[in-house]
Amino acid sequence: MAPPPTIAQQLAAKQREISVAEFFERNRQILGFDNPQRSLLTTVKEATDNGLDACEEAGILPEILVEISKEGEDRVHVSVEDNGPGILRKEIPNVFARLLYGSRFHSNRQARGQQGIGISAAVLYANLTTARPAKITSKVEEEEAAHVLDLFIDTQKNQPRVASEDVVLWDRPHGTKIELVLKARYVRGRQSPYEYLRGTAIVNPHARIVLVEPDGTRVTFERATEECPPIAKETLPHPYGLELGELGYHLKGTKRPTCVEFLTKDLQGVSPRAAKEVLVAANLKASTPPGSVQGEAQERLLTALRGVPLVAPSADGLSPIGAMLIKRGLRNVLGEVRPDFFAPPVSRPAKVRGGFPFMVEVGLVYGGALPADQPIQILRFANRVPLLFQQGACAITNAISNMDWRRYGLDQKSGSGLPSGPALLLVHVASTKIPFTSEAKEAIAEDPEIDRELTLALQGAARHLRTHLSRRTRRDLASEKFAIILKILPKLAEKTSHLVGKPIPDLIPVITRIMDVVNVETSVTSAAEGVRVPVEITNYTPRARVLELFVELPAELLAHATLEPAPDGTEAALGRAWWTLPKLAPSGRTHVELRFPPRTDAEANDFDWYVAGIDEAHLLGADPLPGDWEVRLPRTIVEAAEAAAEEARAPGAGEEEVDYDAAESSASAAEDD
Amino acid sequence: MPRSRARAPPKTTDEDEPRVRADALQPTLALAEAIYDQLDAGEIPRMRLPLRTKQNLSFQARDGVWKLGRQLGTRSARKLDGALMLLRTFYLVDFINEMARDKKTSTLRELYYISEAWEEAKFHSEDESNLLIEDLEVLCTRLREDFRLHPEENGASVIGDLTIRERNRKGIVKTINCRDDVGDGGYSLPFNVEKEKIEFVSTKAKFVIAIECGGMVDRLAENGFDEEHEAILLHLKGQPARSTRRFLRRVTEELKLPVVVFTDGDPWSFRIYASVAYGAIKTAHLSSYLATPSAEFLGVTASDIENYNLPSDHLSEQDIRALQAELTDPRFGTPDWRAEIELMLKNGKKAEQQSLAKYGLNYVTEHYLPEKLTEMGIL
Repeated sequence: MAPPPTIAQQLAAKQREISVAEFFERNRQILGFDNPQRSLLTTVKEATDNGLDACEEAGILPEILVEISKEGEDRVHVSVEDNGPGILRKEIPNVFARLLYGSRFHSNRQARGQQGIGISAAVLYANLTTARPAKITSKVEEEEAAHVLDLFIDTQKNQPRVASEDVVLWDRPHGTKIELVLKARYVRGRQSPYEYLRGTAIVNPHARIVLVEPDGTRVTFERATEECPPIAKETLPHPYGLELGELGYHLKGTKRPTCVEFLTKDLQGVSPRAAKEVLVAANLKASTPPGSVQGEAQERLLTALRGVPLVAPSADGLSPIGAMLIKRGLRNVLGEVRPDFFAPPVSRPAKVRGGFPFMVEVGLVYGGALPADQPIQILRFANRVPLLFQQGACAITNAISNMDWRRYGLDQKSGSGLPSGPALLLVHVASTKIPFTSEAKEAIAEDPEIDRELTLALQGAARHLRTHLSRRTRRDLASEKFAIILKILPKLAEKTSHLVGKPIPDLIPVITRIMDVVNVETSVTSAAEGVRVPVEITNYTPRARVLELFVELPAELLAHATLEPAPDGTEAALGRAWWTLPKLAPSGRTHVELRFPPRTDAEANDFDWYVAGIDEAHLLGADPLPGDWEVRLPRTIVEAAEAAAEEARAPGAGEEEVDYDAAESSASAAEDD
Repeated sequence: MPRSRARAPPKTTDEDEPRVRADALQPTLALAEAIYDQLDAGEIPRMRLPLRTKQNLSFQARDGVWKLGRQLGTRSARKLDGALMLLRTFYLVDFINEMARDKKTSTLRELYYISEAWEEAKFHSEDESNLLIEDLEVLCTRLREDFRLHPEENGASVIGDLTIRERNRKGIVKTINCRDDVGDGGYSLPFNVEKEKIEFVSTKAKFVIAIECGGMVDRLAENGFDEEHEAILLHLKGQPARSTRRFLRRVTEELKLPVVVFTDGDPWSFRIYASVAYGAIKTAHLSSYLATPSAEFLGVTASDIENYNLPSDHLSEQDIRALQAELTDPRFGTPDWRAEIELMLKNGKKAEQQSLAKYGLNYVTEHYLPEKLTEMGIL
């Protein structure tokens, strides 16, 4: 007779496998299907991310077509098509109709999706809410025709069920299309498919994304570059980031015959010498087969691995956007906003937290039609995926809020919190493992190392903004002075001469006293013959000036430039050139010109102009030469610079007087007749 | 309740008092000469002017008024605003000289429109042109009338037993009693109230009551307050025009009549009183000519609002800022005024003079004014 069932056996009898439908119901929120509006966004997002990942892996420039149409009162038909490599017939059911199935879960590199839940969850949601199958069309290049499958998920077994199947001709070399009918609602605006695709287009300027909205509106985000981003390499797991279970999984699955080989070849950052040290510390033999390391020995091994200095994880698994493409992406998508200023994007070097590399990139845009009296706009991205929810809980937002933006020219109450102003910040965190606040992957969790990098990157972008704003202030001041000398002064001279009945005096001495600057005016003009960058240097000071002009531009641009007159020195590798200018009398002027071949991608922001021989206060349109140039200046320039510095220090240079027209007049405007 | 500075009306001295003079053009040309010489010498053109700010008010014990102090500001072509004002100054000087040649005069508003032809120097508001004219008054120690510029007829109206002799536009002299010879609107002051235009003949009145709002003037007239109490009613029409202030000054000086000011109980009304009694900031260069230092503030005071339990409004943010500004205004620097302003800030309430109608139409003439005037020693 069998013994009576133990407690454990009784409990086991009650346990059963929960169905994926139950799993889904319990996790709707973290899976992103908690309401009809969000369900549609999640569906679009998962399908688009899959398409982009597939294209990237195959080195194809992505074309994504998202079509959304209404089907009845609360139902929406969604179709997302990509031009990726296509999926083999036998893989289609598992990829789309089986939860937790994916090729990337165990790979150690940056990717959009990671767990293999996303798209199957969308299929499941569609099955559950409308009882309609997912229709998948996919064609690989090697085959003549496309497979079309109607799929359901068997919610009891978590297995795909193919409802019907066909082979059709498809006028594309390769690609995949998924069509779903689901209970959903389409809206535009915040947290909408539109916003998501726009964000995606910004950080994926190599993709062409088309959205057809239910009312027939067709929105196209054109690609801004023909270059695919470099494919993030698959890297080996680094011991610093390994959990015990994962170590066990790798020990069991490896084909390496010995522990020392496992350590040095299946893991990252373990040198033979470090491996030896680790094995000694773990009390294991070098020749032990990895599969036999079990239980407590695994724990000893992990502790030993963490106690030995190892080579830091490699950043090869990362796929940053890169400064150039951040700029292109922002420019491409924000064109209609016409910002005044695109700050040079900041791309921080990769750093490591735990066993995982990460890096932070920041782009900043200022001015134009961006609203000036509202909090700045923040575009958050994690591994090139826009984060649309939980802004307030995100480490990115916190890093922004904890900075004092008033120092950089934005409004901010009491120096913390979201700043206001006509600015937009793009922040991208890339990592092989991003710490999200929850499985919904909507916000990045606080982490001291990530926070440090975020702050440094934001400060870098903010410094560019400050420079831009101070240059703008000086430009405004200059245009005010030009208005005085060009329009007002001649009339004042004419009026007073007329009243006193005397000839109009020579105004140059007064003009140079009012301006009291050397003005460097540059522009960039593009024509069929080529791109011209004329520079005009005018001495609006009351003294003769001896000056040296410097330009710094991307080295590859300088390589194709013709300089007129020939520079007195260049440093091609650094993209630098300089001229000793002819002596300029008061109101004297001279010219320099840079010419480039037609269609050169050059803009005013690419050129930094510096002048030596005069102090900053008397310089407009250029900055004083930075100290780190280490250029040997001609004697005349050195002397001129010293004289100018002396002049600036001289007493009476900034004679303080109360400005009558700026003084606060009567206590109230309502006073007096 | 606060009492204003009670002082004997001072005599104005001749050298202080700008009078309409024929030689107004010469100083304007001297200004042009100065700027021309600076330009010719290669200097940045500039002018120095006394600052017309509350910080630059200084009390003249001799006259009992607040006048411009010694702080100077510079209007320089180094700055766009300064350069524009300098250019405007000479468009204006040119215009004044032209008018003198053509024997024309212009209203302030007309001048504003004349400047349409001055291109970048044109005025953007009438405030701007009025300020520049005042600058020119200060620089040349002349009155705007000397420059052939005058305001539109916006003077006060007067009701009461006062007989004057006015020389009208056609040069005919009319004798007018401001109670018996006028309609319900009263006698309307012209912009020029100097002796050559208006002479006082006689009056039986014992005092002048200057009132902020027209409705209150009508109430007093309808209730026969002027006859019963032998008062002259004067409608200030909000911030009083120069001619109104000059008229009050002459009434106190020549007829030896006390003046009381009766306004709403709010920070703006305090300023109306200050410009009548102490001199206005913008025209501080003319205080000894325009201000009536013996004028007393009757109400409505902050304590009246409490004592008479008047219907009131909460102070707006603007009101509070105005009161706080008054605390740093030297004209309100007396303990009485500080107490009054602080009380209003503390209570957070303001009231209109017509709120006295809460107790009936006769309350103001039968109770409030007799009580206040008795307290002030006028009745």
